Amino acid sequence: MKRTEPTERDTGGIGRRRLLSAIGGSAVAAALAGCSTLLSDGGGQQSDDGGDSGGSIPEEPIQAGLLTFTKGAPGVLGIQAQRGAELAVQRINEAGGIGGQRRIELDVVDEGSNPLDSYNQFIEEGKEVTFGPISSGTHSQIAPEVEKNEVVNVGTDGTVTTLYEETVPDPTYSFRFQNYDIMEVVTMAREAVERIGADNISTVAGVNPGYSFGEDEMRVFTQAITKLTGAEVVYEGFPELGASDMSNHITSINSEQPDVTFSSLWGGDVTTFVRQASANDMFDSTTVFGTTLYSAAGDVPADALAGTDIYSGSRNYYWGHPALGNWQPGRELFDAATAQDGVTVPTAHYMSGYGAVTAWATAVEKAIDLLGTYPSQDQIAQMLEGHGFFTPAGYHNMAEDHQGSSNSFAGAMVYDDDLGAARLDDVNIYSAAETAPPPGVAGSAWLDSWSG
Amino acid sequence: MPERVETDGETRYRFLGVEATRREAVALALGVVALFAVPDVTRLSDSLQLGVIHQGLLFGFAAVGLNLLLRHTKLTSFGHAAFFGTGAYATAVLAKYAGLQSVGLLLLGAIAAATVMAALIGALSLRHTGLYFALLTLAFGQLLYAIALGQSALGGSDGMPIRPGPANQPLLLGTTFEPAVYQILTYYLTVAVILVGLFVMYRITQSPFRNALDAIGQERTRARFIGLPVRRYVWAAFVISGVYGGVAGGLYAVVRQYVRPEGTLFFLRSGDILFMAILGGFRTLVGPLIGGVVLIFLQDVGQDVTQYYEFLTGVVLLVLVYGFPRGIVGSFRSGGVVSERLGQLRREPSAVADWARSAVRTTERKAVESLSSLRIILFGVD
Amino acid sequence: MAGTLETALVQTLNGVQFGFILFMIASGLTVILGILDVLNLAHGELFSIGAYAGIGVFGFVIGVVGPPSGVLGGVVFVLAVLVSVLLTAALLLPVGTAFEALFLRAIYDRDQVYQLVLTFALLLILLDVKKFVWGNTSLRTDAVYSAINSIPTSELVGLNYPTYNVFVILVGVAVVAGLFWFFDRTKTGRIVRATAIDREMATAIGVSTDRVFTLVFALGAFLAGFAGAMAVPPTAATLGMGTNPLVLSFVVIVIGGLGSLRGAFVGALLVGVIRSWMITLYPPGEIAAPFAIMALILLVKPEGLFGTWGETA
Repeated sequence: MKRTEPTERDTGGIGRRRLLSAIGGSAVAAALAGCSTLLSDGGGQQSDDGGDSGGSIPEEPIQAGLLTFTKGAPGVLGIQAQRGAELAVQRINEAGGIGGQRRIELDVVDEGSNPLDSYNQFIEEGKEVTFGPISSGTHSQIAPEVEKNEVVNVGTDGTVTTLYEETVPDPTYSFRFQNYDIMEVVTMAREAVERIGADNISTVAGVNPGYSFGEDEMRVFTQAITKLTGAEVVYEGFPELGASDMSNHITSINSEQPDVTFSSLWGGDVTTFVRQASANDMFDSTTVFGTTLYSAAGDVPADALAGTDIYSGSRNYYWGHPALGNWQPGRELFDAATAQDGVTVPTAHYMSGYGAVTAWATAVEKAIDLLGTYPSQDQIAQMLEGHGFFTPAGYHNMAEDHQGSSNSFAGAMVYDDDLGAARLDDVNIYSAAETAPPPGVAGSAWLDSWSG
Repeated sequence: MPERVETDGETRYRFLGVEATRREAVALALGVVALFAVPDVTRLSDSLQLGVIHQGLLFGFAAVGLNLLLRHTKLTSFGHAAFFGTGAYATAVLAKYAGLQSVGLLLLGAIAAATVMAALIGALSLRHTGLYFALLTLAFGQLLYAIALGQSALGGSDGMPIRPGPANQPLLLGTTFEPAVYQILTYYLTVAVILVGLFVMYRITQSPFRNALDAIGQERTRARFIGLPVRRYVWAAFVISGVYGGVAGGLYAVVRQYVRPEGTLFFLRSGDILFMAILGGFRTLVGPLIGGVVLIFLQDVGQDVTQYYEFLTGVVLLVLVYGFPRGIVGSFRSGGVVSERLGQLRREPSAVADWARSAVRTTERKAVESLSSLRIILFGVD
Repeated sequence: MAGTLETALVQTLNGVQFGFILFMIASGLTVILGILDVLNLAHGELFSIGAYAGIGVFGFVIGVVGPPSGVLGGVVFVLAVLVSVLLTAALLLPVGTAFEALFLRAIYDRDQVYQLVLTFALLLILLDVKKFVWGNTSLRTDAVYSAINSIPTSELVGLNYPTYNVFVILVGVAVVAGLFWFFDRTKTGRIVRATAIDREMATAIGVSTDRVFTLVFALGAFLAGFAGAMAVPPTAATLGMGTNPLVLSFVVIVIGGLGSLRGAFVGALLVGVIRSWMITLYPPGEIAAPFAIMALILLVKPEGLFGTWGETA
């Protein structure tokens, strides 16, 4: 996208009209895409393209609810999503609010206890839109409720492959922004082939968290890697979440010496695993490819990554790509995020929160543009289907099957002393076409159909 | 209409097979009214939620069953969640794999499963008492938890939804309802079940069976010597208590439409149920039910008030142990702390000063004692 | 495939190491149960407080000593770690004393049910005390694990097994030996055993049961804290870390015999090794197997493998 070429000399930057029409027509969308500083007058003004709203947009603020993990072990992911959502809401409000009128008030509730009750409470309180959750189990629980309540929910995570394949096969109001399990798993399968070579991968193993997410990811990885390389699985370990002792799995891997070890461990488990693996010299036996290892970027200590051989995905967002010096929106997001409480570096989960809010807000803005009034839930839902929008992570599309579709990132996980956190080196990008089944096709059917 | 009956100089009223003093009758009536009024009251206030109180009642009902063992046979079960969980999971399994949709059938299934489970575990646990009994029930409970957690057919750590049929909701009397209406209707179902259950338990406590259980609880060997079939009676009591747990679990599943191993089978849930019985007053019939509502409510309200709500619950339990050992309901009965103290106050209002003074003195004494113990431990016997 | 025998050995060692940590926790639990007749539900929390406190103590002491270099440096470092663990455990002493003297003592002669409620209340209170003092997120100590692992031990015999685990096993053996020595050879220890065997007789010969009880509870807390500090370097201290060890400790003391120290030792190693093998061979068995064994023992031989305190130490 060649947005970065200034053409309007007289204003010293890109003409507002041209920028706004590229972005989707509103100051809010521009602010969320991170392009507001490219606007010559700094943005913060009312939408001026098309749609004469003429007072049929209500004034009272929009009540929004976010279900995420605010504490405990999953808080590593959940707080990132929270901060991302909060930044998006802040930018929307600073740009004047939805439709130039309606500010968003975001209510964040912990997903850790009785998420179903919390979600129902959102609805009872009359929230106009809900975001979240993080956990796949919770998403499977509340997705049917979302459909029943007929209030749009844009999922931040809850990336289980079967959500729109089995649990809610024909969703109307339920959407999911972040790349889902099959996408990130296929990314890492391709990454393994890319780094090591298909001919060099004949055995694989897995150490994944012992619950549905880990099992799902391992299953999909097995399917994908078998298709790509013909490898066989020699060991599968499923330590429980928060397990303190993974030495049994590590010893088994040392014994089997697989070419590739796949892991969907996240948060604190990553540090535990990496540390104990190093102590047992596991990286002499295998190379680790993980989908969410980078979620521990801010948590993993400096010495833990020394001497390791790890590649991690970062779903649809990696803060360092494009490089911060070349990509102003990315830089601004990074600075804003790291200034927030609890964010050492913004991870993919940060973008989950940010992107979910952005998806919804930009869709509503478009609807207001077209209709001239504030849209109903049905109209917003329809608008979201096939909706394209920008965030500092790039371009995203919310496909017709309600699953978000974006690029995926992966790279070598190393520690950066200046940053005080881990980063990804030598980043590869995979397009959605490489990692996601076509809309309407089930994940396993798609993998089955591969011939190499 | 209520009959007046004079026993031991006290006037009691008998109605529908229940005998109570005037005060008890009034309390009972108020209680029933309160139960029925809950959905309306909770609509008025944001901090009171129907779901929370409903949950408390369900766990409290399981605690009422547990109390049959605790109060009479003096058996402390640390595995009651096994029956609660069995009822809950049976409902989920029937909904998912047998395609049962009707609430009535699902509950029957829950009862059947819990009965079988209680019969099985009871038969194995009969010979033990005291701590061994507690640990054995704990072991069985954890075994069931491990099974539910480990089998993907049972949903593993994610649990199972109860969404049978095209409506994704169990059918009440063959119809589906709006979610809000469904919640209210299932609440009234629970109330009906509780009233029936309490009545049954009441009749048990008025029967010779209760006396036999008391005798067994006091002194097993003697009970056997006087000819009581100890094993059979304990087993029967165990099964009955399990049924209460299973019914509560089945209702829980039907209402929440989701069951997880942690919330239904884990030993901390068993502990919760036990403590509800004690909190409410395990020497009373209705106490455990009240204890259930209070404990769940505490945890819920506590969470909104502070992040240290476990500390709050812990302090409440401490106050219970030291100040109100008879529990909430028990303390109001004659002989309980509250009624005693109130009586004292009525006779002599200045008693408050005495209490304060003695409290201070006791605290001082304890502090001195423990400091000296610490000194001895660190520096040896003096 | 690298040496199946070696793998089998390492997997077993993994279990043994876990077993020793479990023993340290369960020994405190069983001693408290044997002497005071109290099932301390808060024991897991004492363990986790040891872990949290240990992080701080490690940071301080290791900061003074510095990383190990050369043989002498290695020895000094190991000693420093041991000192830190002992200090951490000592921090639990006043906690245990206070519990027993302030709370437990008042309810000894009451219904057993109240003890359970009390120790459970203490569990809840400690949960939030930890949250208050150390916060909501998990904490780690960076200094110890990799530093000790850099000291070669099993590498010297050609075995790939982290030195820290060897350290845990050696310390565990020392703790076992120390406890047996304490209860067998020292005067205090024998007084404690006497009180367990026959409380009235002990009082008759002039033993203050109050002091013995406080001592025993403090000892139990000490052992739990010790275990916590030993367990934390390879992993992290989390708020919920006390639950699993607590429940497994129940299994251990039942297998071994309520109150039996020898039984706790055998039981802990048994549970540790079985669990380790279950993870490798049949994962659902990891949680199920210990409880199945527990139920079996209670049904077949309720007094456990070694009976209760008093018959054998």
